[in-house]
Amino acid sequence: MKTKKLLSKLADLLNADRRAQIENVRCIKEILKKLKKKERDLKEKLDEEDDPDKRAEIDAKLRVIYAQRTKGVGILQELRGDGCTPA
Amino acid sequence: MSRRILITLAFAILAYGFWRSADFQQIAAGVAVFLFGMLAMEEGFKAFTGGMLEGLLRGTTDRLWKSIGFGIVTTTLMQSSGLVSVITISFLSAGLIELAGGIGIIFGANLGTTTGAWLIAGLGLKVRIAAYAMPLLAFGVILVFQRSKRLKGIGYTLTGLGFLFLGIHYMKEGFDAFKDTFDLAAYAVPGLLGLLLYAGIGIAATVIMQSSHATLLITITALASHQLTYDNALALAIGANIGSTVTAIIGSFGANIDGKRLALSHLMFNLTTAIVAIVLIRQLRWSVDVLSQGLGIAANDYTLKLALFHTLFNLLGVALMLPFIGQLVGFLQRFVQMREPTADAPRYLNEAALQVPAAAVEATRKEIRHLYQNAFEIIAQGLALRPETIDSTQDLARAVAATTRIEPIDIDELYEQRVKGLHSAIIEFISRVQAQELPEYRARELNALREASRNIVEAVKDTKHMYKNLRRFAASPYPDIRQQYDSLRSELALILREIGELASGIGDADTILSLDGAKVRLEETDRRINITLTRLIRDQRITAHMATSLMNDCAYAYGIGKNLVDMAQTLFALRERSLKDAEQKLTLDETDIEKVISARR
Repeated sequence: MKTKKLLSKLADLLNADRRAQIENVRCIKEILKKLKKKERDLKEKLDEEDDPDKRAEIDAKLRVIYAQRTKGVGILQELRGDGCTPA
Repeated sequence: MSRRILITLAFAILAYGFWRSADFQQIAAGVAVFLFGMLAMEEGFKAFTGGMLEGLLRGTTDRLWKSIGFGIVTTTLMQSSGLVSVITISFLSAGLIELAGGIGIIFGANLGTTTGAWLIAGLGLKVRIAAYAMPLLAFGVILVFQRSKRLKGIGYTLTGLGFLFLGIHYMKEGFDAFKDTFDLAAYAVPGLLGLLLYAGIGIAATVIMQSSHATLLITITALASHQLTYDNALALAIGANIGSTVTAIIGSFGANIDGKRLALSHLMFNLTTAIVAIVLIRQLRWSVDVLSQGLGIAANDYTLKLALFHTLFNLLGVALMLPFIGQLVGFLQRFVQMREPTADAPRYLNEAALQVPAAAVEATRKEIRHLYQNAFEIIAQGLALRPETIDSTQDLARAVAATTRIEPIDIDELYEQRVKGLHSAIIEFISRVQAQELPEYRARELNALREASRNIVEAVKDTKHMYKNLRRFAASPYPDIRQQYDSLRSELALILREIGELASGIGDADTILSLDGAKVRLEETDRRINITLTRLIRDQRITAHMATSLMNDCAYAYGIGKNLVDMAQTLFALRERSLKDAEQKLTLDETDIEKVISARR
């Protein structure tokens, strides 16, 4: 490992705020991953469902998950300072 | 009264002793400094009970060997089985660990405490220990004055250790001088009588000083200066072991039933070990001699031999009791029982749980879950549904539609019996915990839990208001008004079901984020009914009186649902702090909910 990289790792370790931020990013990414999986499963269910009431129920859940993911990506952008939107 | 007499008597004896002998003064001061050192060390270690110790305790009680290992290591490091017992009882009272795990820790603590005798006999008497005390005290005191809780804790630990060393030094010097003027060994009692008498003295000394280490210190230093015979010293060590259960017994007074069981198991273990040691004293002495030879301990080094004896008989105790730990737990559960707790009495809030912040927070969380369980049954009845129906997989809309008659219930009385008292007890307990010095995140957790408890109370109160009209209209022959009330009932029943799934970890509702769907539905239902209401009045399908009732009840239903969801998003959040915080950041607020509703349009 190069000295510069080592120093940056050491700085991260010593800076409590930076450490908390890294942990925050890790947690939000983990939750976003779970939400994405849930979204995929629900979309599959929606494709197989014929009952209009059940379809509406699944659709409502999908809208909520999309909103949560959008919010999560926004927070992630703020934390990292970069830009991307949920797929 | 008797306590005052005892203190006066102790003062009188000490004053007489000080007047008669300056050496006695030094010995007594040595014990006092040693005990003060123990207190300072306990204070220091308490600074680390904010998270590290609790985390360890949680992770190390799933297997018996881990519990024993935890007991050995922590007691060896802290040199205080008392603090380990108090924390264990506190966690047990909060329902964080099982009784068998707690017993394992106590067994381990008994083994860990034997390292104290080795330290005193091996290090305290062989080296000029006072030389180490001075820098420890100087560095320690500087750290005690620091702001950081962690540094302060290290400071107290170092200062405590310094005082321990200083106490040992004073006692050693005192006994060395004392032997020139007074020969305590002349009072030695041989045989079984001596064994029992000195074991009794050991118990009494440990109970008075609340520290088996202090008794062992007096025993070892007196033995080193030949003021005590080896046989009597062994008996004192046995007595000190029994006396050390006193801390756990005192700690269990404010504990729940499992805490009391643990204290009793501690007493049973130490008593059994002592009886076995007394019965097998010859064999143990012989084993100590043989092992001493093997370990290179001189035949006349009685202090180290005493330390070896102490370790050996505690090991024997653990070896004898370990195979019967299951039976011991069974016996304690049968023998120590309490009256079946009533639904309105707190189950987890007790003095023992107050001792450690993590245990106090967990006890509060469990008590609010208990409160929620009571509230759930009342709300279910208020919706004219059976709790089992809500907990099942039955179609809720169909179950609601099948209602033909709503039985009268007195929600006010149910609230007084099953909610109000419990809620008050929770609020009082939280205030008591917050009166202690707490890490900021614990204080925040407690504030959120207090809010959750209030949410439950509000939900029950709103149910009471809604129930009056619901009883009248939900089984009404007017289909239009009934339909609206049915939709409110179905929605609230669905929220209760989702919370149940979240609490038990089954079904779709696996994280607090899944309850955001309920928030959106609540908002949509509220708006839909209000729009429908206008149409129904216009078309004269319901009376104005019915419409007013429905408008009010719609607001109550919204309140019930919102309070329940807010409560559940606090109460059933994840345990891991960083993940919980992240999840709470992602939950939808009013603006997000508005966006979700607009997206549908």
